[in-house]
Amino acid sequence: MSGGLLSTLQIPIEGAKLNNGLRVVVSPDRTAPIVTVGVYYNIGFRLEPRGRSGFAHLFEHMMFQGSENAAKMQHIKLVNSSGGVLNGSTHYDVTNYFQAVPSNALARMLWLEADRMRALKVDEENLRNQRDVVKEEVRVNVMNRPYGGFPWLDLPPVAFRNWANAHNFYGDFADLDAATLEDVRTFFQTYYAPNNAVLLMVGDVEPQEGLRLAERYFGDIPSNSVPARADTDEPLQTEERRGQVEEKFGALPAIAIGYQAPARGTPDWFALAMLDQALHGGRVGRLYRRLVLEKQVAVDTEGGIQYPVGDLFDYNGPTLMVTRILHKPECTAEQTLAVFDEVIQEVQEKGVSEEELQQVKVKFRSDYFSMLEGGMGGYMPRYGLMHLLACFSLFDDEPERVNTILDGFGEVTPVQVQAVAQQYLVRQNRSIVLRQPVKKGEG
Amino acid sequence: MATTTQVVGEKVPALGTERAVEWPQRTRRRLSNGLEVVLAESHTIPKFHAQLIFRSGNAVASLTVPGLADMVAQVVRTGTASRSSRKIEEGLRRLGADLACSAGADSSAISFSGLAEFSSSVLELVADLAQHATFPKDEFERERRQRLEELRIERTTPGFLAGERLRKELFGAHPYSIAAPTEMQVEQYRQEQLIDFYDANYVPANALLIAVGDFPSDKMLEEIERAFAGWSGGPPTRPEFPAPAKAAGRRVSVVHLPGAVQAQVLVGNLAITRRHPDWMRLTLANSIYGGAFNSRLVMNIREQKGYTYSPRSTVYPLREHGYVNVHAAVRNEVVAATLAEILYELDRMRAVPVGEQELDDARNYMSGVFSLGLGTQDAVGGQLATVYLNELPEDYLETYRQKIRALTAEDVLTAARKYLDSANAQIVVVGDAEQVREQAALYGPVKVFDQEGNAK
Repeated sequence: MSGGLLSTLQIPIEGAKLNNGLRVVVSPDRTAPIVTVGVYYNIGFRLEPRGRSGFAHLFEHMMFQGSENAAKMQHIKLVNSSGGVLNGSTHYDVTNYFQAVPSNALARMLWLEADRMRALKVDEENLRNQRDVVKEEVRVNVMNRPYGGFPWLDLPPVAFRNWANAHNFYGDFADLDAATLEDVRTFFQTYYAPNNAVLLMVGDVEPQEGLRLAERYFGDIPSNSVPARADTDEPLQTEERRGQVEEKFGALPAIAIGYQAPARGTPDWFALAMLDQALHGGRVGRLYRRLVLEKQVAVDTEGGIQYPVGDLFDYNGPTLMVTRILHKPECTAEQTLAVFDEVIQEVQEKGVSEEELQQVKVKFRSDYFSMLEGGMGGYMPRYGLMHLLACFSLFDDEPERVNTILDGFGEVTPVQVQAVAQQYLVRQNRSIVLRQPVKKGEG
Repeated sequence: MATTTQVVGEKVPALGTERAVEWPQRTRRRLSNGLEVVLAESHTIPKFHAQLIFRSGNAVASLTVPGLADMVAQVVRTGTASRSSRKIEEGLRRLGADLACSAGADSSAISFSGLAEFSSSVLELVADLAQHATFPKDEFERERRQRLEELRIERTTPGFLAGERLRKELFGAHPYSIAAPTEMQVEQYRQEQLIDFYDANYVPANALLIAVGDFPSDKMLEEIERAFAGWSGGPPTRPEFPAPAKAAGRRVSVVHLPGAVQAQVLVGNLAITRRHPDWMRLTLANSIYGGAFNSRLVMNIREQKGYTYSPRSTVYPLREHGYVNVHAAVRNEVVAATLAEILYELDRMRAVPVGEQELDDARNYMSGVFSLGLGTQDAVGGQLATVYLNELPEDYLETYRQKIRALTAEDVLTAARKYLDSANAQIVVVGDAEQVREQAALYGPVKVFDQEGNAK
């Protein structure tokens, strides 16, 4: 009756690198006859071409529009008719394509992913079609809903100075309109090479069989020279940055605060993750408790590292620890921020107790297990494990870190938490965006 | 316009031999106080996921106090006879646990999960919430204000406004017509109303506890018996309501949302419960129509025409009735064109039997996706809740795939003719009325509403 494979964090991981540079990671788990298959490319919206904001995401759509041996809709049809579901998503530093299927469809999924890695086959009509689809996606997710894109599209242009980090990742419509089929070909040629990707198989797959099938379907895809990673560094921030945007629908004013976060994997990063949980961990988090429950200046607070479009693990460049506050109209932004600052100041002056840190660590461990098991609302089993294996492969060349990373969080001390609060949660390291409701019923 | 059925190309690898799908064994008990318990082991992670479900939701009180079950769920976690709100929340964090209280039309639930090693302490805390919640006055007042602000945001959200209007159009005088209360109704809630609802409905004879996780079932059962032993309370009376009248003729509602830059289009019909003999036929028909990525609706208005990002159709079962709903968020200029395609595809489902290949693909999709639910504790719990809340046969999970695979083109046609009733569909468009009204009026007599639901 002992726990499953994930329980002891001895998740079995078999890896290989094919001659063309494609990394392959297999993590077997016989719980159910299902397997999740993903391909992650080491390119996200941070490094899309200038003048082509939103292109990495538009390109992700194009990857479903047809490849050499699977015409438009064949990919989707073959996944669904094999009993599976699929999707893709574009992040700051990676783009992924994934499907969960009954395990008897494994070879078919690998064939499909290999076919579009080898040769995308799309035309002007496909591009026009997906440009229209993406515009409606932006409208439904950003322009036509209360607090759409807040703060993930509103903070970067205020917080960052390097275009790579600061631009509109969903895309200005003029840039989407300007995208050409030639851009699609160039982007594909430049970044969608086997040596810039990792293939993952998680679930009901025998590792040697998985590696054999990977070689069979992907082995002959030629590698390519991938450009050296562009500079994404930010100049040192020396003063607080402020911005303001309009809220068209909602009646509540909103505030986003973003602090520049330390690089992934550093001791400060482990400590900040614990501080993040102490501040933002649901109803018991210090911010929700003070702003919503006790002082009642706010209606909601949420936040986290890369909130709300990423997590602690899936970034590879400058990022923010973000707090999002919806506050009551009878409180001004400055009054609300003053309460926020009290909370920050307290943790800087008094730190966190051993007891609070212990609670935070237990909750973090519990959340980590759930993330590995599911991570996408339960419909994509092991998405979280796949995602972590992919990020640790592409960024660190060490997928095995999924088994050891928790140790680093466990070792964080109250002194370290206080120290990162003092070092990072300071005004000259933060940016603030106010989202102000448009006055209604006047004039 | 019709999607053609493509034969799998010769290079496409064939499917291998299927490995058997095995659902976990269930342990079922009814405790002496009436609490029904269903347990299943799943050792994917060292955690457990559970739901304590009460068979009473917003419908029970919706004609007198709309949204009451929601408000009870929102406040129930804020204090018990022996625990303050802060003590509850810190207790959960110490145990690595999550807890969410929610209500729907037919049920209320305390959903919780946590590390398996601490399951008995989490159960003890949940049992306290189920038995000794005190609904402190100050917590209630604060949560009421939260609820008001949430409602104000919801009534600027196109998807919410569309769903709210459709429920009104489909269910008329039935409680299912009310998706959410008005601000005025929330302002009139009284603390005693919450307590009365809780006392009457959060009782063991009205409850079902489902737990799935990394535990030996006998040990979990002991922990549950210990935690809930002192709980008592007989079943509540369940009011009965006349069935909603079937719509006669297509009608259009436009909900005016000032400043909208897109139109949310909904097309709906009354349908059936999950216990209805047509349930599987209808869900298969729906998956062919618009329930999957690879469905006619998505192919047509997304992949061919680019009108919309994420169109889908969904079958919603409620305890006494149900409904089907087609939705698409489209650019303003193509509201009429979108409705033309939605209705055309409905009619095609009703007029032309589905081809063998398309049918086979859909059956494979339905049966395959069903087994994906085995992958996580939470999803297994969800499946068990479906079975036991709806009192479906004990072998429902084990026989589902085989039953889906036995369905025919005739079954699909029959279900489409009964439930995808385009001539009597109710249409809702949320958007800038100026821009969408004329287009919508092509499809039936139009009424225009504001965001609060008042006819204009």
